[in-house]
Amino acid sequence: MVELSSDELKALKANKVVDARGTSCPGPLLAAKRAITEVPVGGVMEVLSSDAGTKRDIPLWAKKVGHEYLGTVEDAGYFRIFLKRKK
Amino acid sequence: MADKMCVTVMSGSVDRLVGLAILVSGAVGMDMDVELFLQLWGVHAFKKDVIDKNMNLSEFSEMGETVAKRLNELNLPKWFELLKQAKELGNVKIYACSTAAKVWNVELDDLEMVDEFIGAGEWIEKMREAKITLFV
Repeated sequence: MVELSSDELKALKANKVVDARGTSCPGPLLAAKRAITEVPVGGVMEVLSSDAGTKRDIPLWAKKVGHEYLGTVEDAGYFRIFLKRKK
Repeated sequence: MADKMCVTVMSGSVDRLVGLAILVSGAVGMDMDVELFLQLWGVHAFKKDVIDKNMNLSEFSEMGETVAKRLNELNLPKWFELLKQAKELGNVKIYACSTAAKVWNVELDDLEMVDEFIGAGEWIEKMREAKITLFV
């Protein structure tokens, strides 16, 4: 698993953006789990979260269920977490 | 079959039930099946006439109001709302101890979200199959 650079991540056009900034852990993880079914296989999902636990949870979840974690960019007070749906 | 987490829920205190609900949601998020076994106070806390009125805390009870206020500010759903969401999204089964049901004189209809009454022996067998077992 090779993570992308932050410039590469910022240049990505996500097929779906999930804004979970209003929720606390594990809210963003559940939002991601719910939303990944709406992303085409091979498509990119971006999860916005202001929760520090989530940027560690999502790569673990992606690994467990077989999606590809692409990396995380930190923005003003929140994280942009990118992954690719693999199946 | 997915990995399974089993939690025995003896406590009926809101602080512990919040912790329970977060772990159950986390497990569902991580694609695990979850089974709960409610014992004495756990069964009481799931009674329809208690579930949203319960303000009991097991620790630092003098800080109850502060904690309730912070949970509210953080936009964290109530523990039973978190459990309901987890149940909708994942494979979560809630069992209640048949003896505790007798203590509280309750039927399944008197309880929120509980699927079945079972005995201790069956619960032990369910825990034996689980990757993670916890007690709250």
